[in-house]
Amino acid sequence: MKPRKENIDLKHSSKAVFCISVGTAVGLVVYGIFLFFKIAIFGWNLGLIFAPLSAGYVETVISRRILGKSSGAISAFILFIYTTFYSFILKNPTLGINLITAGSILVILQSAFPTLVNYLIMVILGAIASNIKWTIGNARKRINTAVKDNVKWETADEEVAPPYFDEAESNRKLNSQGFYFITSTDMHDRPYKNIGICQSQVIIENEDDISVKREIVEEKRLVGIKKGKDECLLKLINIIKENGGNGILDLEIEYGLIGMKGDNIHIIATGMAINIK
Amino acid sequence: MIITSSNTLENKEIIEYKGLVTGESLIGANIYKDLFSGVRDVVGGRTSRYEEELEKARDIAFESMKEKAESLGANAIIGLKISYDNLGGTMGNTILVTAYGTAIKFE
Repeated sequence: MKPRKENIDLKHSSKAVFCISVGTAVGLVVYGIFLFFKIAIFGWNLGLIFAPLSAGYVETVISRRILGKSSGAISAFILFIYTTFYSFILKNPTLGINLITAGSILVILQSAFPTLVNYLIMVILGAIASNIKWTIGNARKRINTAVKDNVKWETADEEVAPPYFDEAESNRKLNSQGFYFITSTDMHDRPYKNIGICQSQVIIENEDDISVKREIVEEKRLVGIKKGKDECLLKLINIIKENGGNGILDLEIEYGLIGMKGDNIHIIATGMAINIK
Repeated sequence: MIITSSNTLENKEIIEYKGLVTGESLIGANIYKDLFSGVRDVVGGRTSRYEEELEKARDIAFESMKEKAESLGANAIIGLKISYDNLGGTMGNTILVTAYGTAIKFE
């Protein structure tokens, strides 16, 4: 009488379970030994490698003898999950509930179940992307419908055009005040009288610029700096003239950042006010 | 156009002080992006590409300063000062290069 197919499968499965169990047991024993004797390098227990390795090896050897083929080293996989869970999560005193822990668990799961986790990630990311696309598309439609004929949109060029600044003219104005700007530390050819150290400063507030083109934003900033510098120097002229001077020696112009967000530009002009005869 | 950082010009007589001349230029944050793309360029702790950008910015500031001096009728700049300031903040890494001096006319 021929044995029924179900019986053969059952017997086969039982043998396979036996092989996996023996492999797992050997792996656990090996892991226990490594933990007991603290066989570790830089605090990293070598049992994490050798336990799954020995479990898989024993299981494969036994299954080849009993079943005539490998059972797939499932015990190595079980040992991998167990050692990871035990060492990295249960017995980790520094582990807290935070993003890094969650991320680490995800990475562990990803390495244990690569296909499943990758599939889930792709599905989730795909869903999020399509949701964002739908939301943006929907919002755009609503905005377009609402403002279609009522609002005149500025063109990109109008929006981001840098302000016009006649630098040469501003410089000419600065130098036509009957005032001596001397950046060197002395005037050898003319007699003068020291008045004292003078300083003026200007703060240029950062305007929140929503322009897309970075170059235009920077151009605007540079123009602001140039205007601010000339304004600072005109202030300096007035301060010195009020103190009876008509020139400045060793003029220093410094630029720095100031403000709560540190994005306002601070321009300082310092020097020795003098009266040139 | 003679440009010097000293107080006077040797063997030359200053006949007129024309005024202050300045030049400014800004290196944008995209330079840093370029810098990352040129990591190979870093040799012996120096980044030649970045240095080139800074030199270019300094030349722009110099040219602007010289143009102003010429427009004032000067033929030299004395007491030259150059400064490099990092204007970070919300602008990201942006470097302002400034050059300024006293425009003069000599004989």
